[in-house]
Amino acid sequence: MLQLVADGFVIGSVIALGAIGVTLVYSILQFANFAHGELLTWGAYLAWTVLVGITAVAGPIMPLGPFSFGWSLLASLVVAALATAALALLLDRVLFRRLRRRGSAITLIMASFGAALVLRNLLQFAYGAVPEYYSREIQVALRLVPRHVLGGLRITPDQLFVLGLTAFTVVALHVFLTRTTLGKAMRATSLNPQLARVTGIDVDGVIRATWIIGGVLAAVAGVFSGLTVQLWPQLGLDLLLPLFAAAILGGIGSVYGAVAGGFIVGLAESLSVPLIGAEYRAATAFAALIAILLVRPTGLFGERP
Amino acid sequence: MTAALRVEALEAGYEPGLPIVRGASLTVAAGEIFAVLGPNGAGKSTLIKAVAGLVPVFAGRVALLGRDITGRAAHRLAHEGLGFVPQTENVFVNLTVADNLDLAASILKVPRRQRLDALYALFPDLARQRKLLAGRLSGGQRQMLAVARALVGAPKVLILDEPSAGLSPKLVGLVFEKLADVRTGGVTIVLVEQNVKAALAIADRAAVLVEGRERIVGTGPDLARDPQVAALYLGHRGGGA
Repeated sequence: MLQLVADGFVIGSVIALGAIGVTLVYSILQFANFAHGELLTWGAYLAWTVLVGITAVAGPIMPLGPFSFGWSLLASLVVAALATAALALLLDRVLFRRLRRRGSAITLIMASFGAALVLRNLLQFAYGAVPEYYSREIQVALRLVPRHVLGGLRITPDQLFVLGLTAFTVVALHVFLTRTTLGKAMRATSLNPQLARVTGIDVDGVIRATWIIGGVLAAVAGVFSGLTVQLWPQLGLDLLLPLFAAAILGGIGSVYGAVAGGFIVGLAESLSVPLIGAEYRAATAFAALIAILLVRPTGLFGERP
Repeated sequence: MTAALRVEALEAGYEPGLPIVRGASLTVAAGEIFAVLGPNGAGKSTLIKAVAGLVPVFAGRVALLGRDITGRAAHRLAHEGLGFVPQTENVFVNLTVADNLDLAASILKVPRRQRLDALYALFPDLARQRKLLAGRLSGGQRQMLAVARALVGAPKVLILDEPSAGLSPKLVGLVFEKLADVRTGGVTIVLVEQNVKAALAIADRAAVLVEGRERIVGTGPDLARDPQVAALYLGHRGGGA
């Protein structure tokens, strides 16, 4: 039982970080970006590319303490986060910004489907369909709770790293949104873009910040997924529906809702495995979504009528 | 003397080739209250939104204190001395009264404490309710907050889109009294109004807009007596529409 909860939090970390990007783009730009899952895949593969490059130049890097990875993965994560933010900005520049000026929300949604196809196939063309790994080191899971207590709990140092960095990222984002001028400007813009403009907020700047934050978090989520499972070109596609389920059940537009939704979906997926088997666990995300929307149609943290 | 706001042969609208404002020209002197009146669909709101950078300008020129601001983005104008109060959804309802004003102060980078103290002195009701969510304010208080928010950056010109909309006559009186106080503080006020009687009572001068351009311009008392103005409002609807 405890083990399933811990696994759920690890899966939930990836979903929560990805769902934050989905919900931020929705709240500021008013459209559902179905290409967001591909940002996770690109982030994961960009980090892998940098990692391979560092290893080729500097030779094999020793793992840091109990982890399966060395400093090279952390450096790769930083580079991939920046590059994924740049990719998100580029996508907005060449596609979404033009359509925002002329098209409707449905045009943007359809364009995001197209962008997702292009990004996924480009990646598959470049990297092939064979799964990759950041590290092939074998990790010994730490036993945190003995087996006789609720089935016990074992967790790998990499999983602890994922949980810790997710917690840090969520707290940092909370501080950013509530304490900084740009964060408050983002909240104001999501509520009322026209009023934000006449209040002096540069909405185009807010939109750029939204893509940057969404891109960075997508890359982190992609690397976490690659670190705890594996890398493959369908990574983002597999996560897309859980990301949207998390964003919607948390209350689309709410960052805190996306985080809560991410963990709820992760837990629902993990806890359902012994009941219905791993094949159908993705369906439990939608069962959780429907159950919550029946009770609270705007989602857990939804504020809009 | 330099006009606070000058609009020359302005054409503006939402769709290229379909202007709603069609060649409007207005001159607002510094320190005056200027009302823009007109029947529904005359282009009043579009005119002031075009001035405030919220609606595309197709032709003509807008000058703020002698500087050309034609087509400039709304957020830049907020930094350059133009305050704007939209007709509806004019406060951030999910933020407290204090956060609404703090946000404007932090964006506009004005000396926060001093400016906010001055605003709370001007709007004592808001000072008492600074911790209340803006969405919980009454219609009149919300309008006061909207005006206060637009004043945070100490604008030279304050433009309001139908500040009396949805308010009881008593509250309209209170809001307009406050606008008179704001003008006394040296701010030029331009307001679009459907409530002709209340607007002409407070305005130094006014323009009646018809089909996207000014038809009559004159002082408040002159327009209040002008039979053409009443005729334009379809039969003496001076008490508000």
